[in-house]
Amino acid sequence: MITADSAETDGTPLPRRTTSSSIRGRLAATILGFGTVALATCVLAPLVGTTPISLTRALDRSIPFDQNVDAQIFFVARLPRVLAGALVGSALASAGVVLQAMLRNPLATPFTLGVSAGASLGAMLVIVLGGALTLGPLSTVPMASLAGAAAATAVVYWLATRQGHAMSTSVLLLAGVTLNSFLSAIIMFVQYIADFAQVYRAARWIMGDLDIGGYDTLIASLPLVLAAYVLFAWLPASLNLLSVGKDAAAARGVDVPRAQRLAFFSASLATSAAVSLAGPIGFVGIVVPHLVRLLVGVDHRIVLPASALFGAAFLVACDLLARTILAPIEIPVGVVTAMIGGPFFLWLLVRKS
Amino acid sequence: MAARAQKLTALVAVVLAFFLLDAPLAQSRDTGSAPRRIVSLVPAITEMLFAIGAGPQVVAVSSYDEFPPEVKALPKVGALLDPDTERILALRPDLIVVYGSQSELEKQLERAHLRTFSYRHGGITTTLDTIREVGLATGHRRESDDLVSSLKARLDAVRDRVKGRPRPRVLLVFERLAGTLREIYASGGVGFLHEMLEIAGGTNVFADVGRESVQPSVETLLARAPDVILEVRAAGLIEKSGSDERDAWAALSSIPAVKNRRVHLVRGDYLVVPGPRLAMATEAFAHALHPEAFK
Amino acid sequence: MFLIADRVTYTYNRRTGVEAVKALREVSVSVDRGSFTGLIGPNGCGKTTLLKLLAGVLSPDSGTVSLDGRPLARMSRRHVARRLAVVPQETHPAFDYSVLEMALMGRHPHLGAFQLEGPADIAIAHESLTATGTSHLAERSYMSLSGGEKQRVVIASALTQAPEVLLLDEPTASLDLGYQLEVGLLLRRLNRERSATMVMATHDLNLAASLCDTLVLMRNGRVLASGNTSEVLTSAMVRQLYDVEADVRVHELAGHLTVVPLGRLS
Repeated sequence: MITADSAETDGTPLPRRTTSSSIRGRLAATILGFGTVALATCVLAPLVGTTPISLTRALDRSIPFDQNVDAQIFFVARLPRVLAGALVGSALASAGVVLQAMLRNPLATPFTLGVSAGASLGAMLVIVLGGALTLGPLSTVPMASLAGAAAATAVVYWLATRQGHAMSTSVLLLAGVTLNSFLSAIIMFVQYIADFAQVYRAARWIMGDLDIGGYDTLIASLPLVLAAYVLFAWLPASLNLLSVGKDAAAARGVDVPRAQRLAFFSASLATSAAVSLAGPIGFVGIVVPHLVRLLVGVDHRIVLPASALFGAAFLVACDLLARTILAPIEIPVGVVTAMIGGPFFLWLLVRKS
Repeated sequence: MAARAQKLTALVAVVLAFFLLDAPLAQSRDTGSAPRRIVSLVPAITEMLFAIGAGPQVVAVSSYDEFPPEVKALPKVGALLDPDTERILALRPDLIVVYGSQSELEKQLERAHLRTFSYRHGGITTTLDTIREVGLATGHRRESDDLVSSLKARLDAVRDRVKGRPRPRVLLVFERLAGTLREIYASGGVGFLHEMLEIAGGTNVFADVGRESVQPSVETLLARAPDVILEVRAAGLIEKSGSDERDAWAALSSIPAVKNRRVHLVRGDYLVVPGPRLAMATEAFAHALHPEAFK
Repeated sequence: MFLIADRVTYTYNRRTGVEAVKALREVSVSVDRGSFTGLIGPNGCGKTTLLKLLAGVLSPDSGTVSLDGRPLARMSRRHVARRLAVVPQETHPAFDYSVLEMALMGRHPHLGAFQLEGPADIAIAHESLTATGTSHLAERSYMSLSGGEKQRVVIASALTQAPEVLLLDEPTASLDLGYQLEVGLLLRRLNRERSATMVMATHDLNLAASLCDTLVLMRNGRVLASGNTSEVLTSAMVRQLYDVEADVRVHELAGHLTVVPLGRLS
């Protein structure tokens, strides 16, 4: 009496990997595969650049460091840049995955909830108000950027939780979009009253810049990103359930308010750290999760670690293109990610219709 | 009959001559008399006006004007991005100095039948030509010619001082995120900074780049390995660093300039305004690059 | 007396007071083990809210819900989920999960925090799919299925929770007649063969009459009547609930009560 009913549906199954094979196996294979790609990219990228260098000479310890241009290019110019790219790419991609699941919207990005606008405003205020200060080894711009991001996060959280301690995702989304518009308006105003050189600097910051020229800011951002990752580790199973529905997740044992808070704060933390280090580099947080889902399916227990790894490789590769393709001119890395992201989405759209 | 024809021809000739002579008088439609109420949106030209004695004719300046000290008392009417048209008109000016790119503003002012002077940004030659044009437009032709001559003489003097000396490869930095090596803006092979550097006896390490400003990556800086790093800052930006600003370069120790401690920081807004003080700026560069030549 | 709601009250938006809606007022319901209970009533009567309270998805403002003597509030979320499962009216996952992945989500309350499902869990999922006649769809994308197939998969994923009670919110509301029959038969089979206690909120009086042995009639957040279907489902009750004049009688061929609406009361 219970009959199959494929006649009325699209008979051909979508091409996908067999989900019945052990998830443990798939998770291990994914981490191994993407991990290798990420590692290979990070190892090879510092070897490539506009100036040909010899690796043996760079690693030759007998030459004093201040006489070894190859070593300085490798260790001071390229390596921090590649590591920053890996950290930022990984953080943004992971934050993207988490927010897309929490907001139940595959088009959400790490910047949807206003965190990056807060970071941009913080940086801009410092640039414009002539806050060319240094506190210890760090410039005030990343710190102000972090403060701005934290403030934006707090505002959005407060708005979304006013109706009870469970977060309303629709209010969250609205709050984020509103904050984005509001902060953009303020940013425009700040740029308007700034002098011309500062406006250019501010505009340049928004395009993203991984050329950090040293390890200080990288080391400062590391604890934030690691903390975010520790929080991320608790999420993947809950993300699967949340993305089916809030009530459905609750009925299956997920502590929904807690999971939402965890998702929101961990994604905001990762995004804040990434943006204050390198500016708001767009498209990584949405292209990477989509690409990864095309490759490994939609189970977040696999998508999240895969995106963290692939995000690192992706941004390092984009930065490599940015600094070599039009040599000696360098394209801002945010432009490269946009030029890859745009056509990619067009293709996705065409493929779906 | 012949006499009448002659008078007519003469009359026509005089009228024609009037129109023909009228045309090339610097980018402005004029009435022939020197302006008495000048509004200047361009700091470089404000300096020129005061240097050639047209200071008393200036009634308002831009928001970024700092020099000479007399401008502090004058009303400010905006600048490149935000000129306050209402305020400008309220001052009843008879000559307004605008940026070449402010075409909308120019059209507005022309519709109000006001004379404008359009500023062209360029190298030293352009700057000197502009001084002459400003002199012509404001009735201070003689003073402007004198100023140009004296500036040329000072520049030649600098050339002579450094002649024959080895020319170091110089990285001329005019902007950088304080305390870091990020967002470095250096002079390319075009523009007045580049030209002043070359007169002062240095070779621009980015002379091959056909732009006024370059944003080099750390890798590019290491590859170009300048002998001297000359950091130029307008005095308006106060940098309160805990340590010496030049310490930021320490990480790039393979650069000869860093190794040999030839990183110089020169402060002053005269360094970044292509105006009458460019000879002073060139001299400052030469002092930094060839201190022995001035002992 | 197995799953009991004791004088529960619930108000939506109570905290902010803006658009606060008192959905349930002092409602008491008692569900027997192995029974098939229907929650009936007009729109807005509170049956969905009651269902959510019984499932532990919402917490009552006052009163308690207890399972087998233990209040749900004292049990952890996971523990509750191991014993009670919900089949919502519609399920729209944001991502393109496969049918098997959807079914496996029901195993979540049985797994530890970082535990991944093992062969036993996969076997349970396959078994549930078989029970709902959807095992041949295991590798298919959930979103590509028909309405009836989707609903059966959702029921399967509720079954993988291995619950003692299955709570269903209008399970056939978006299905056509054929699928309604299909799902109805499936539910009855599960109730009888697996002794699964069922609580179903529904609009469809005939469906309720065909499946439920017990009915709870609700209106305006209160219980009007509850008891055996044959005793409680009368035209007088229908009149009271819906302001509708209806003919209620046992249908010879169907073998259960049927409700045929005749006209609206003015």
